[in-house]
Amino acid sequence: MNMGKRIVDWLDLRLGMRDILEQNLTHYLLPRNINIWYTLGAVLLTLFALQFATGILLLIYYQPNPETAFASVQRIMNDIPYGWLIRSLHAVGANIIVLALLLHMLSVLFMGSYKRPRELTWVSGFIVFNLALALCLTGYLLPWSQLSFWATTVATDTAGAVPVIGDALVRLLRGGPMVGEATLGRFFALHVMGLPLALGLVLAMHLFCVRRAGISQPPFGPTPPPQPPAAFQHQEHPGGIPFFPHYVCKDLAVIAFFLVLLLVGVFFTPGLFIPPTALIPADPFSTPPGIKPEWYFLWAYQTLKIFPSEFLGLAIQGAAMTGLALLPFLDAGPERRPARRPMFVAAFFLGLALFVGISVWGHFS
Amino acid sequence: MRYPSIFCALLLILLLPLLAAAQNTVCFQCHSGLDGTLAAPTKEWPGSIHAENGISCHDCHGGDATDFALAMSPASGFLGVPGEGEIPAFCGRCHPGVLEDYRASVHGAALGAGGPHCATCHGNHAVRKASLDLINPQDCGRCHDYARAENIRAAMQETDARIVGLQSDLGRLHRIGIATEGMEGQVFSARNSFHRLFHTVDIQTVRQKTTAIQEELEKVRQQVADVEAELSRRKIWGGGAIGLLLLVGCLALVLHRSYLETGSRNTDE
Repeated sequence: MNMGKRIVDWLDLRLGMRDILEQNLTHYLLPRNINIWYTLGAVLLTLFALQFATGILLLIYYQPNPETAFASVQRIMNDIPYGWLIRSLHAVGANIIVLALLLHMLSVLFMGSYKRPRELTWVSGFIVFNLALALCLTGYLLPWSQLSFWATTVATDTAGAVPVIGDALVRLLRGGPMVGEATLGRFFALHVMGLPLALGLVLAMHLFCVRRAGISQPPFGPTPPPQPPAAFQHQEHPGGIPFFPHYVCKDLAVIAFFLVLLLVGVFFTPGLFIPPTALIPADPFSTPPGIKPEWYFLWAYQTLKIFPSEFLGLAIQGAAMTGLALLPFLDAGPERRPARRPMFVAAFFLGLALFVGISVWGHFS
Repeated sequence: MRYPSIFCALLLILLLPLLAAAQNTVCFQCHSGLDGTLAAPTKEWPGSIHAENGISCHDCHGGDATDFALAMSPASGFLGVPGEGEIPAFCGRCHPGVLEDYRASVHGAALGAGGPHCATCHGNHAVRKASLDLINPQDCGRCHDYARAENIRAAMQETDARIVGLQSDLGRLHRIGIATEGMEGQVFSARNSFHRLFHTVDIQTVRQKTTAIQEELEKVRQQVADVEAELSRRKIWGGGAIGLLLLVGCLALVLHRSYLETGSRNTDE
């Protein structure tokens, strides 16, 4: 008897491992018409795990102090063995995660998978998306470069547009009137502890919701998706394909292709995600012209510039995000097939075009 | 062309605040409203190498650049305009090595007897960046035959090209996050030694000292070559990893398809 089997037998006797594996892998059936968009969850889990691992390794040498932060990042990039690889994977990986999150959200939107009984899955996923953006924002300051310092100054300044509590909010975010040591301290704490912890919890909730409600059937093909049940019911897919090994292979393929994208960024276009101002140490007395946020915040940056008052821009952003978060409750009809939801599909593509258009405008403005 | 343009943009980002700071001095505010030669510096200086490096009026002429009343007061260190014979010492406060070589040269020996001083070749407020372009038939021919100057220029050509090439390479490496400060310092030091040689106006000295400077530059070139070799190695490893992942992805897709086909056959049976 080989060692692997003995271990499984030992665990099976105590925890019923074979049963758990069967229920969640080989006997866990997915819809036959499941498409490639459903693999994005596995892609995101892999990318989050990679961020977690590279983040821990970066923590060994990174120093969260304005005097030494920039130099410590330079040391990681130039002196520590494979430090450049770890840091590049972390920095480029953050961009790929946002891209994967956006694609995941867009696919769920288009297929109406957010609808009853999966409202909580959507809301928890939307919180994960926002936590990921918050991780990106807090991580941006840590290298303490001109770009990170001034981008954080602009980003935190935006909170000042909130009526009545605006100034207090800015001071709370910065830990003082200006971005400084206190800001770096709190952004560091949030980035390495507070936000990952929150992300882990919400992610667990999201996965629980996915597993508990069951995978939604894609709203395409001759068989319409079933009507939402009146009482709780795990959605089964009799005659479907097993999660393992069938769909795991597809997951593995798409994960591999996303990792290719990540490695192309790391090895062949290292300058794409690192603008020139990210290579100059932060100087609070010298404001570089044309500081802009990362591509995924360009829409928010440009929205604030379009409207005559920052508060109006901020309010519209808030309304758009709240609307998106509460979409399952606003769009409560049972129909999920895009062909039968022309208004929604039109709004979907219009919203997407608006997001891309405003982002491009923000880039060139 | 991408990297030079990025480098220029970076340089502009760095230098714009310096330019803005200098133009805020009272010297600039007052002289820009005057006529003729008194206004000339405000038009010439912004395009100069001094402006590019944030060297403003008061850095050379002294005085208090923040106060209209004290701007031209001797009490605040105002030096005014130097006489022709004083110009080398005036500029040599910041360029002592060049001053030393200039004074030892035939140019320096002829100061006050029709010989050239700093501003003769470099200009005064529109100070030009020191480069081999300053040795040309038009400028040198104003005072003497160009043949000797041409020999000196030819002797320095290779080193100059090497310095310019290394500066460009270092800018490119800096742009992708490589720590180039040490190498930049070495090139800067070699460049300074090299620029001192311009002023000896002695081809023998130029040839002797150029060899030592080239040795210094060769050390930097070797370091750059090492970094570039490492970057190439990284790309090879990266390419290999990407190829492997593509293979894994394709195999997984083939496997997925075969599982589906097997599943369909089993269902049909």
